[in-house]
Amino acid sequence: MNLTRRAALALIISTAALPVAAQDRPVVATDNYPLAYFAERLGGEGVDVLFTVPGDVDPSFWRPGIADITAIQAADVIALNGAGFSTWPTKASLPRSRTFDTTAGLSDRLIQTDTVTHSHGDDGEHSHEATANYVWLDFELAQQQAAAIAEAMTRQMPDLAETITSSRDGLMGDLAALDAQGRAIGDMADLPPVVTSHPRYQYLGAAYGLDISALEWDANMDPTPDQWAALEALVAQTGAKVFVWEAEPSPGARARMAEIGLTDVVFPPLANRPAAGDFVSVMQASLTTLSEAFDAL
Amino acid sequence: MRRLFAALAVVAFATAAQAHNLNVFAFVEDGTVVVETKFSTGKIPVSGEVRVLNAASEVVLTLPLQEDGTVRFPLDPDAASGGLTIEVMTGEGHDDYWILTPEDIANGSES
Repeated sequence: MNLTRRAALALIISTAALPVAAQDRPVVATDNYPLAYFAERLGGEGVDVLFTVPGDVDPSFWRPGIADITAIQAADVIALNGAGFSTWPTKASLPRSRTFDTTAGLSDRLIQTDTVTHSHGDDGEHSHEATANYVWLDFELAQQQAAAIAEAMTRQMPDLAETITSSRDGLMGDLAALDAQGRAIGDMADLPPVVTSHPRYQYLGAAYGLDISALEWDANMDPTPDQWAALEALVAQTGAKVFVWEAEPSPGARARMAEIGLTDVVFPPLANRPAAGDFVSVMQASLTTLSEAFDAL
Repeated sequence: MRRLFAALAVVAFATAAQAHNLNVFAFVEDGTVVVETKFSTGKIPVSGEVRVLNAASEVVLTLPLQEDGTVRFPLDPDAASGGLTIEVMTGEGHDDYWILTPEDIANGSES
């Protein structure tokens, strides 16, 4: 670690008010919470995990400040979700030898979303596809992302190799259990179509056999009359029986959902850190809630 | 070092190309800040405004984008001491930014 990186690391540590003893710990920076959680589980007390996106900001749209980028540049491992999840890594110089795309080996598993057609300027009308990027909602792919982080951390932090190896099995076991929980849902007979409040669940649907239609509702606002009407039309068209919110809705919105005849569940996709619990406990609870919703139909 | 920045520019443009947007890249060379812009379609924006912000997010300079999609301005060591954010807004409603940290600036100044 050169002097400039040491200075930047000191800045991170003073900003986070960590104990002085933490100053020598290697740093893993990530662009979303699932990757931060995997790094925390793998490195334990031996690493500092840098994920500074405020809790009320979608990490996909986070715009870091200069100090954030300075700290990230100094990290020993910069673990990115890839698949176009966040834009900020393309807006600053990151050290290529320490930057790792955790879906780089998963290109054949990534899901292309609907083609978007639009026009601007003199370019005329044109189309492009986007890539769904909440990859970790397929918990088998989440294991592969965790494995990619473990490999990067082992390479960059050889002193922690033993710690990483010993924690890896526990993490993989927990993710495999989530995968099994998801597959158990997929094995249930006659699963009805599902509508989600936002297009976040492509990998969940593909991995566990859910027929999902997505809306584009703002997570923190009650739906408008037009949005309710669009939902009712979609329910009539698809025969959906279950609705998935990405965040806790208002009581009024839940009551309206019941009037429409939908069983609704909250399934936070966890791009950002949950207010309570962690990746595994929140995902376990969400899968249980979803399973119970199907069971009750 | 210049080769490194060039390589990073290629990576940045290639990665962001999927998003079909304006891409901005900036670097420091011989005491000059060089800003380059390109749409992900490969086209060069012919007009736009470049805003330079210091570490306190104060605008320290505003410049028009040149017809070749670039702009250059002398590095002010005082204004740039905490790093710079370069924001570019084109007339077609696209905008983007690039962050130059103090380390980026120091490395560029050494080249």
